[in-house]
Amino acid sequence: MAQPTDWIQWQTINGDPITVGDVTVTPQSQSLTVRWPFGGFVWNRPVAVLVERGGQTERIPIVDTTRMVQLGVLGFGLACAAMAFISLSRQRRDSHG
Amino acid sequence: MGEASEGIKMMAAKSQEQVMALVDKLIATARPSAVYGEPVKSGNYTVITASEVTAAGGFGLGSGSYTGPMSPPLEAKETKNEGRPPQPGQEGEGGGGGGGGGGAFTGRPVAVITIGPAGVEVQPVVDPTKMALAFFTALGAMFMMWGRMRKASRG
Repeated sequence: MAQPTDWIQWQTINGDPITVGDVTVTPQSQSLTVRWPFGGFVWNRPVAVLVERGGQTERIPIVDTTRMVQLGVLGFGLACAAMAFISLSRQRRDSHG
Repeated sequence: MGEASEGIKMMAAKSQEQVMALVDKLIATARPSAVYGEPVKSGNYTVITASEVTAAGGFGLGSGSYTGPMSPPLEAKETKNEGRPPQPGQEGEGGGGGGGGGGAFTGRPVAVITIGPAGVEVQPVVDPTKMALAFFTALGAMFMMWGRMRKASRG
């Protein structure tokens, strides 16, 4: 019987390592997979690179600057809209009361 | 079951296999190789691009078959074979099938990874167009909300 984990998967996967000189870089990605009969949806994004040099491994995160600014601006707009809605509701309540 | 029905069933099974193969290809987008490009070497530097990838698809299939008595034949006067009496209803078969599907795939550069003598650097890719679109969308929504508030406060 198919389990929900078969339909939805959220996982972090390491890619094939790339060696340049004495540095080995392993890319890391995060993916959300939703699968249904006769269809599916995949969202895959880079999250970090693992840099190995001299026996030491360092994780360098990949920051999606564009997405952060988008979410920040839209979030600010939603917050303003919510505050305006609350203010309007209070005004109506006060005027009726 | 007649040959036509069997043929329709076989076609439906084959179509289903092809659809599942397409879905498997879609799910294969979940691997890191779909996000990170092939390394490009230039002198002492190696550059790897990193992108955000989104893929979606859906398909539908349908088929049907019929085996049973056919509708009574037309009256003799309505056919070209005038004068011949109508024959009793005979057993017949028929069927049909169809399918459709659609999908979308988007990719957006997120960062560039540079491996050089100084080490590994991750440089984000900034898209001013998308930022401007988000800014003006939020601004437009706030203006609309403000306009409705003014109308509501006057009313």
